[in-house]
Amino acid sequence: MADAIKDTLTTAEPLSERSAGVVLDGRYMAPPQDKGGKTWVRAGALIQATPNELYALWRNIEFAPMWQEMVTDVISTGPKTSHWVMNVNGKSIEWDSEILADEPGRRIAWRSTGGDSQNAGEVVFDRAPGGRGTLVTVLQEFGQGKMATAAQTVVSRNPKQAVIENLRHFKAFAETGEIPRTEGQPHGPRGASGSLKASLYGEKVGVPPGDTGNAR
Amino acid sequence: MKAVCWMGKSKIETLDVPDPVLLNPHDAIIKITRTAICGSDLHLYDGFIPTMEQGDILGHEFMGIVEETGKGVTNLQRGDRVVVPFTIACGKCLFCQKQLWSCCDNTNPNAHIVEALYGYSGSGLFGYSHMMGGYAGGQAQYVRVPFANVGPLKIESDLPDEKVLFLSDIFPTGYMAAENADIEEGDTVAVWGCGPVGQFAIASAFMLGAARVIAIDRLPERLAMARGIGAITVDYSDEDVSVLTAVKDLTGGIGPDKCIDAVGLEAHSADLQGLYDKLKTALMLETDRPTVLRQAILAVRKGGTLSIPGVYGGFLDKVPFGAAFGKGIIMKMGQTHMHKYMKPLLEKIEQGKLDPSSIISHRITLEQAPEMYKVWRDKKDHVTKIVIDPWATAA
Repeated sequence: MADAIKDTLTTAEPLSERSAGVVLDGRYMAPPQDKGGKTWVRAGALIQATPNELYALWRNIEFAPMWQEMVTDVISTGPKTSHWVMNVNGKSIEWDSEILADEPGRRIAWRSTGGDSQNAGEVVFDRAPGGRGTLVTVLQEFGQGKMATAAQTVVSRNPKQAVIENLRHFKAFAETGEIPRTEGQPHGPRGASGSLKASLYGEKVGVPPGDTGNAR
Repeated sequence: MKAVCWMGKSKIETLDVPDPVLLNPHDAIIKITRTAICGSDLHLYDGFIPTMEQGDILGHEFMGIVEETGKGVTNLQRGDRVVVPFTIACGKCLFCQKQLWSCCDNTNPNAHIVEALYGYSGSGLFGYSHMMGGYAGGQAQYVRVPFANVGPLKIESDLPDEKVLFLSDIFPTGYMAAENADIEEGDTVAVWGCGPVGQFAIASAFMLGAARVIAIDRLPERLAMARGIGAITVDYSDEDVSVLTAVKDLTGGIGPDKCIDAVGLEAHSADLQGLYDKLKTALMLETDRPTVLRQAILAVRKGGTLSIPGVYGGFLDKVPFGAAFGKGIIMKMGQTHMHKYMKPLLEKIEQGKLDPSSIISHRITLEQAPEMYKVWRDKKDHVTKIVIDPWATAA
């Protein structure tokens, strides 16, 4: 998969202002469509916490490996820059990232500045209508084509689904203090069919640790 | 430990597997003292629910003694006796806060599978396929219970296990079925299916004010049990009986005020319609056999309510939606919001209003479970409810 990503690199450009927004001037805005070798994903979650709390959790980028799949290390290299390390099926993918917009309690935008992954993204924290929590919307762009995405779906996790799953993990962690998991529970012999199904259902992608350190 | 494992369609084995361990801070490990086989386990046995994996530990009705707790569990201690709800709920998301516990947002690690099928995913369930979370079940000697700070109900009285075990699913499920039917004082309520959930729905319908309950089934021991708690029974297997005529005859032609489908996706039907569904499900053109649902929609009176505790999984064919609209009926359904009902229903048991253990017909060991799944499916040996003592050895 690492090679697939490297093969399909294009340049990540900054996302436009408020591009993760779902509503503009009272109109619903559809998510951007994949084209020109770029893959887009927009995902949203309703989370029972304040925009400030959720912003703070997201902004703490060195904590990202606790809730982002396959991310093993994030090192701050400056006030707005960081180095990211992912482990995908035993292969290391590394890239540098910079924060382009940082509005506490409201939004964060970033893009990669070099390395094995070309990506740009934005997360927006909006109070939900009726005071029912916070709407968190993530828009992320990957510089890679559909073929690579399809290949990754088979071998592990395609990046679109990873964004969706990471937001799900973020929500579970923010609301409950842990991320649900079943890896490590007992079962009888899986056989070939059980093992294949586990793979198809995405169960072989490790769930990020969340607060497993405090299980015992 | 020993556990009952799903090894393929119609293939259940009791196997030695590793003991469960704490994986998350809100987990607890429970030493199981009693567990049961549910009617809905038969949908897994018969291969009607997709995303089972070979080796899965079955079972979602269980209770036991707290063995170990994670750091986030402060309400339980080692040695506490608890009944565990079959739905897993976080207690923090919008749905849990609205008491829609079975719709919890945070407990299904495989939510993406259900999202693809249903749009959104409900809570994780114990021992009930990977689309429902892939959590190991409780037909075993030990089980890991996630969010043990939220779900398990402590039993502080000396009531025997058998009287409180069914708070784990079927009593709350039968009760919510009656509550969902919006029963008003004096209503006539028809209940399809007199298995355990049907029996609890009948008893609950009377508790909520039903003046008459019509109970529909084909098995003599179930019908006798339903008459025993005050229902009028209709044996649909009697060739002179048409259920739609029967419910009209018993209601002066207007139909039951409220109907409860406590059967779900594997309804039996001897007629052409039954053959049609059997063929279509075999050819994978249809996933469920909705005979009862069709009948109940046609049977309920104008402006009546149809409550559906019976499980449906996929796509249904020939459902008379025009009749539902034409009569202006209300339909309510879904997995039970367990956490809302367990405590109040425990109080009803403590007050002696009902003895849930009266439905038990078989008490077995884990080793006997595989053969008893077959007995349960084929409704042999006058079976009404099977309870397992996971520590018993065959006499």
